[in-house]
Amino acid sequence: MSYLLLTLLLLPLVGSALVFAWKNPASKFLALGIAFAQMFLTFYMLSSFDFKPTVDGVLQYEINYPWSNYIKSNLHFGIDGMSMLMVLLTNILTPIIILSSFNEKPGYRNSFYGLILLMQFGLLGLFTSLDGLLFYIFWEITLIPIWLIAGIWGQENKKIQFTTRFFVFTFVGSLFMLIGLIYLYTHSASFALTDLYNADLTSGAQTVIFWFIFFAFAVKLPIFPFHTWQADTYTYSPTQGSMLLSGIMLKMAVYGMLRYLLPITPEPIFGLSGKIVLVLAIIGVVHGALIAIVQNDSKRIIAYSSLSHVGLITAGIIASAMVTMNGTVVTTGGEGALVQSFAHGINVVGLFYCADILYKRFKTRDIRQMGGLAKIAPRFAVFFLIILLGSIALPLTNGFVGEFILIKSIFEYSKIAAVIAGLTMIFSAVYLFRFYGKAMFGEGDEAVLASATDVNAVEFTVLASLVVFVILLGIFPQPIIEMVSSSLKFIYTSMLN
Amino acid sequence: MSVLIIIFLTALVALFAGVFQQGKFSRYISILGLMVAFYVSFLSEAAFFSQYQNMYEFGANAALFTKITIVVTILLFFIAGFAFSNHRSHQSELYALMLFSLCGGIILFGYQNLVTLFLGIEILSIPLYVLAGSNKTDLRSNEASIKYFLMGAFATGFLLFGVALIYGSTGSFDLYTIHAFAVKNPKDLMLILGAVLMLVALAFKVSLAPFHMWSPDVYQGSPSLITAFMMSVVKISAFFAFFKLMTIGFLGITSEWINVIGVLIIITLFLANVMGLAQSNAKRMLAYSSVSHVGYLSLIFYGMNSLSSYNLAFYLFAYSLATVGVMMCLIWVEKLKRETSYNAFKGLAHTEPILAVTATVSLLSMAGIPLTAGFMGKFAIFAQAIDTTPFLVLVAVLGSALSIAYYLRLIMAMFFPAESSFKTSEKVSLTYNIVAVFVVVALVAMGVFPDLFAKQFGL
Repeated sequence: MSYLLLTLLLLPLVGSALVFAWKNPASKFLALGIAFAQMFLTFYMLSSFDFKPTVDGVLQYEINYPWSNYIKSNLHFGIDGMSMLMVLLTNILTPIIILSSFNEKPGYRNSFYGLILLMQFGLLGLFTSLDGLLFYIFWEITLIPIWLIAGIWGQENKKIQFTTRFFVFTFVGSLFMLIGLIYLYTHSASFALTDLYNADLTSGAQTVIFWFIFFAFAVKLPIFPFHTWQADTYTYSPTQGSMLLSGIMLKMAVYGMLRYLLPITPEPIFGLSGKIVLVLAIIGVVHGALIAIVQNDSKRIIAYSSLSHVGLITAGIIASAMVTMNGTVVTTGGEGALVQSFAHGINVVGLFYCADILYKRFKTRDIRQMGGLAKIAPRFAVFFLIILLGSIALPLTNGFVGEFILIKSIFEYSKIAAVIAGLTMIFSAVYLFRFYGKAMFGEGDEAVLASATDVNAVEFTVLASLVVFVILLGIFPQPIIEMVSSSLKFIYTSMLN
Repeated sequence: MSVLIIIFLTALVALFAGVFQQGKFSRYISILGLMVAFYVSFLSEAAFFSQYQNMYEFGANAALFTKITIVVTILLFFIAGFAFSNHRSHQSELYALMLFSLCGGIILFGYQNLVTLFLGIEILSIPLYVLAGSNKTDLRSNEASIKYFLMGAFATGFLLFGVALIYGSTGSFDLYTIHAFAVKNPKDLMLILGAVLMLVALAFKVSLAPFHMWSPDVYQGSPSLITAFMMSVVKISAFFAFFKLMTIGFLGITSEWINVIGVLIIITLFLANVMGLAQSNAKRMLAYSSVSHVGYLSLIFYGMNSLSSYNLAFYLFAYSLATVGVMMCLIWVEKLKRETSYNAFKGLAHTEPILAVTATVSLLSMAGIPLTAGFMGKFAIFAQAIDTTPFLVLVAVLGSALSIAYYLRLIMAMFFPAESSFKTSEKVSLTYNIVAVFVVVALVAMGVFPDLFAKQFGL
């Protein structure tokens, strides 16, 4: 029983209750304090974390507590390298996201911050749970706060439509996952992860389970053609909502694919189903990038770039899985996916924040009506450029490491697929530089520019901390790769058994 | 049986309080009586009543279901003070009639004989015909009453005809004699015919489509508290009677009726959820949602095991609590706005956050979102049925997916508008808030610790 992990899980829950109860504009500082406490707690846990355990995939900080007599499910939590990385991402981004909202005028109510902390609780629970039912429960819990954030603080004239579509899409996806998990449960000893891994399944049953569970992930990521909810939701949500959705929430699906799909249903991944997913993912890479090139709405560009990036992540995971099924364990795809998930989380949060800053200056999201801000706001121009380069995957930025490993892993499976997927690097340069050029250079509207200012203290802090991660991880990616390699070896090895 | 007697006596006292111009005490008398009955339901039955066991037996299942109906009735009576505040003169009758109806329900939990089943159903229904029309000046309430009565009488005809055919073939009204006969003669045509007729009558009572036509009109027209009573207590009673009859009496001929139920489930889930989507009135939407829940519940007939009746109780209790939670919010809105369209709920979260949160948690529980009791209920039923009938479970899941859309509309109406549409200084009373908090806590507690339910109800 690890009290450290228990604190890590319960602190946001208790914090969110406190923030909900305290109806005061100052409650946002309480929320920020809790988020920072969480972050330092994570760093503390990281300091005593065993990066190279003697047994692959061994769990640290374990909590195991019986739950129900009627359902064979335990309150089982624990952290291995993969979980640690996701916990780290969640707890680094949450304070940044909370801080980024301090500029809003008028400020958000206390419930906004309560919902963010509730969301953090759901995410941490998901990333540390080791039980199928708990995974599903946390998967659903994260949906409620983000839906409320998007709906209450989203763009007024659009919110009924886009929030309904978002909720119904994801809910349908997760219901299918529930059926898949229940079906899996009836064929295994209990909901415990180890029992699920050892479930005795025929190839046909595996295929059914694969598609039912994958459907939920495909909606959440999203994978082409289940992405239709994404652009509207990212665009019309408040900035912090978009950050949570794209920065952390879609990583739930990446994590779920590695943790559940690969070890439980290796046969369909090796067979036709895996090929279909790979093709869909690569279509998503190109499709997302091509749409992003012609968009004029700043948030929409980021949304479609996100579609393109997650397509690559999925393709990498599946490609390595298929190579592994040929007999030799290859974990490159998983490593790339996790490194890229972390990097994408940082970059996309940064990009959404830059879009928000631009919106505050120009009062529009249309990039054709922006321009000339670089002269007025040089510091912002630099920050924006670094985050942008990270997203484009320039060497020495965090994005490069992930994309390079991912494309390598796809290359190991199929050269043609790697060539097509590799287009993402070119395309992302096209649409992001177009975005940057239109927004920062050129003449611009004199009247707007006259009143525009460079970044203020809050914006500076948020952007600077993100930029630190962009560069740091670009130069020293090795700790992250080391962190996840042991658990990935375990997962890809268990595909073969 | 002592519980039954206590509730019956309470009803009489409550009724006579009205006769002596003391109607304002009826509610307190009823709540007190129900609490005593709740306590007694935990005690073992007096030996004296064992001589009735061929007609009525207060067994473990009967005790469990009696407990949950009493709890729900007490909650409803707590909020009734506000809900009936415009019935200045005839309050005692309302409480007495609800208690009589509850007596009918308790008879249904313990029936051992088709005669007792028939008596139970009639005692359950006849007070409801009156209650549905208790808002005398409202045309819709009158319509509800007449419609419910006519359709109910028709269903009773089916029930009696079924009983007659079964008596004709088995020569007995006794449930276990019928059980033995059905096991021995699974191809007896008259028995099968009787069973199907009884199935139709009970499907009417629990409002399985296509026998649900009365329920949207009746639920919408009746006074809201009576609607809540019908959706919760009456549904629990009728469904358990249905369940007991089919799984004990007609167990031997399961293969003959199970597919009928399968078809009814598909029709129910599809029709009720699509119709629910089309509604613009929250009360009518809840009526269709109530119909759809019977569809999910009916999956209990598939993959039966020793835990089935426990799962049934859990689901019904979760659903009833959620109904109380939504309906109390609806009653408040109806009182202030005189209507129950989605628009009437606009911005409720700004003026009455506790009520809005209660309604939201309840609706999420109905939709089956985790950490609420409704999820655990749905999970148990789906897990039980999935091996026998994966197709129906898939249908149920698609039904849930449709249903979330109309539950969301109500939640969105309460939370998303930037400001409240309620221009009143009237605040919700303390009792109301206590019930609201109780409902939320109970729903979440049962969702987080599903075993709590078993412990609290002495299983």
